[in-house]
Amino acid sequence: MMKSNLLKLQQVEAYIGQFHILYDITFEVPKGEVTVLLGRNGAGKTTTLRTVMGLNPASKGSITFKEQEISSLKPHMIANRGIGYVPEDQGIFGDLTVGENIRVAMKKEDQVTTKRMEWALELFPDLKKFWNKPGGQLSGGQKQMLAIARAYVNENELLLIDEPSKGLAPIIVEKVMESIQQMKERTTILLVEQNFLMASRIGDQFYIIDDGQTVHDGQMGELKEDKVLMKKYLGIS
Amino acid sequence: MDLVFSLLINGLATGMLIFLLAAGLTLIFGLMDVLNFAHGGLFIWGAYTGVWFYQMSDSFLLAIMVSIITGLLLGLITEKLIVRPVYGNHIQQILITLGFMLVLQELIKVVFGPDQKAVFPPGWLQGSFMVGDIVIIKYRLFIIVLGFLVFFLIFFILKRTRIGLIVRAGVIDKEMIQSLGINIRFVFMLVFMVGAAMAALSGMLHAPYSGVIYAEMGLEFSILAFIVVVIGGMGSFTGSLFAALLVGLAQAFMAYYFPALSLAVNMLLMATVLIFRPQGLFRVKG
Amino acid sequence: MNLRSIERSTWIYIAIALLLFIVPFIVTGRSMQFILIQIFIFGIFAMSYDLLLGFTGIISFGHVMFFGIGAYSTAISLDRFDSTIPALLLGVVLALVIAAIVSFIVGILTLRLKSHFYAMLTLALAGLFLVAAEKWRSLSGGNDGFTFRLPELIRDSQSQYFLCLVSLIFIFFGLRRLTKSPFGKVLMSIRENEQRTESLGYTVLHYKVIASVVSGVIASFAGVLYIISLRFVNTSVFATDLTIDVLLMTIIGGVGTLIGPIIGAGLVEFAHHWLSGLSDVHWIFERWIILYGTVYILVVIFFPLGIVGTIQAKLFGRTVTKGLKDNKSKVS
Repeated sequence: MMKSNLLKLQQVEAYIGQFHILYDITFEVPKGEVTVLLGRNGAGKTTTLRTVMGLNPASKGSITFKEQEISSLKPHMIANRGIGYVPEDQGIFGDLTVGENIRVAMKKEDQVTTKRMEWALELFPDLKKFWNKPGGQLSGGQKQMLAIARAYVNENELLLIDEPSKGLAPIIVEKVMESIQQMKERTTILLVEQNFLMASRIGDQFYIIDDGQTVHDGQMGELKEDKVLMKKYLGIS
Repeated sequence: MDLVFSLLINGLATGMLIFLLAAGLTLIFGLMDVLNFAHGGLFIWGAYTGVWFYQMSDSFLLAIMVSIITGLLLGLITEKLIVRPVYGNHIQQILITLGFMLVLQELIKVVFGPDQKAVFPPGWLQGSFMVGDIVIIKYRLFIIVLGFLVFFLIFFILKRTRIGLIVRAGVIDKEMIQSLGINIRFVFMLVFMVGAAMAALSGMLHAPYSGVIYAEMGLEFSILAFIVVVIGGMGSFTGSLFAALLVGLAQAFMAYYFPALSLAVNMLLMATVLIFRPQGLFRVKG
Repeated sequence: MNLRSIERSTWIYIAIALLLFIVPFIVTGRSMQFILIQIFIFGIFAMSYDLLLGFTGIISFGHVMFFGIGAYSTAISLDRFDSTIPALLLGVVLALVIAAIVSFIVGILTLRLKSHFYAMLTLALAGLFLVAAEKWRSLSGGNDGFTFRLPELIRDSQSQYFLCLVSLIFIFFGLRRLTKSPFGKVLMSIRENEQRTESLGYTVLHYKVIASVVSGVIASFAGVLYIISLRFVNTSVFATDLTIDVLLMTIIGGVGTLIGPIIGAGLVEFAHHWLSGLSDVHWIFERWIILYGTVYILVVIFFPLGIVGTIQAKLFGRTVTKGLKDNKSKVS
């Protein structure tokens, strides 16, 4: 049976300024699964997400979402097609309260969106507690939760999450990963993650990016067994 | 005592006019990193079109509306024709807005003639009244009241409406707000137009206050607005009000006691802020 | 490095310079000589601007204040003392020292911040100098200005021509040397990417301040030559019109090329001459700033490489100068 692919990148290239960062990124994100992008620091994982989002437009290649080309669209149009984005630095609006951070993301205040918001707040009770606190005063873990909730409230079919475990204490990482696991039931996720243990727990399939190219892919279960591959590209032994 | 009070009123009125000019500048800068050097051009066009209508129709309030409409339209034109083509390139943007400033200034001379024009407040705003021993000049009070009204209106919009929320979020992080599905350029165009309208209103209110209008006053007055933007913190709306009142008061008191030094004092104020707190008194980003 | 092409261009410049030395013996008309003198002066002024904008990526909207400082220092010195060479030299020294101090202070204050600050502060400061010149009548003569006598040696048009030409040549080759030196390479890398330059271990602020001071001093010297050619000074040496002139010259000629601004100065000065002739035909030509401003805006949008930059791009098939393109990419 063919899996239906929500997002598909084919030979995508991208520049930052005059620097050629992505040379050949090709991968597919099947619906309803968690796809993980792995690779060393500076391999181009974050740029890949930014390129999908249109923040760092692709110079070549094709990006299709729900079988429609999106590589030439502006970021807000891409977002409105149904992609939510949690950047590496979480992108919390520091002077805005938690509530405002979520409200600014809600395009409609209809039943569906409100329901999704309520679900997200149940998942992250801290957000409800600090509803009127400025986002800048939250702890790292709370910011991460706010960012994920914010990406989720609209009817997004795909969430791009960039290194949710970065800079968090192990116990908090655990919590964040748990919540992503729960989200997985409801939406498709493309995850960049350095924490291999976490990635292997929630990921279904993986792609390895090295020097701006997708060099390897497979099922998450297989990767754990393949010590050679892990050492070569991820520096894990 | 009444001298101090009268200087106070004077300073607040000047400060309000500077605020109206600076608020647009600071919001436009905060949202898009565009420092609009043509802002003074919108100021004089507001003044000239408003005064033209005022002298034709004899209705001051309608004239104010005319100047606001001029501001909105010119803001739209400036954004579409001048700022947008060089979007994303700071050097070109800064260079081009100054060019447009001078074109707007010279066009005033072509359309309305190169000579100064005298302007008087309408009858109902002429003269003064007494509160105790203190003489209050009506027109100055009018400027102060109107300025505060505009401040609170914009403040309310920023705090209480969705578009205001988007603007505040956009000032903090432009990329993120786009990633949430918001067309920041459209929002920016609206902010640019509103900022331009405030500049035009400032020019119109300034006309009967100074009693005379001339083309070069746009650039002169906008220098004060730049100083205010630096002192208040680039991108801070509230900061621009406080800094504008500060500069207005400094201007008024210096103009009375040491007239030669009034601009120099404001420059000094700005230099001090740049040395000790370059992000301005009210920091926004971060 | 293509040594031969450098040598060839140097020879071409020397040949043109030699030709220019013969010109005053052929072109004896005073008004034509005057235009050429103005071109040399504004060529120097525009080159000083190019060092900031084209090579370092700094935008100044108050460059005219250094020009004005040079003009007033010299004029006042010649007026107060007598019209001798020592008085002139005193004026020149004053001009250069004051310009150096002012540009140093402005640079230290704002060059560590975003480019907007420098543009803004210089615009404001130039405004302050203009107001000061208008108000401090006892020193400046206010709006009406004053005339003064020149030392015997540089009174006639021909010696002024040679003075300005020699200055232009020295400053051109000096700046060319500077921009090709390691120092100049650092400036250009600041323009390309400030953070990267900083992370390579250069203290960017020092380089920017030095560029600002060198540029201010040269602009001041252009101001000195300017009032020598006019024998008259008034507040117009601080006017924003001059800023737009020098911006137009630099950009239309091609930023980051040095020779471009001189060519730009030539075009703008001839256009001035031609347009002021037309003002008898139609009054609109008196409002030449509209025309200049419009041309300037169009050039900034559509022709950011300028004349020399475009020719270089065509000849060498690559962009030698980046023009006004700033490619400071946002890497987060």
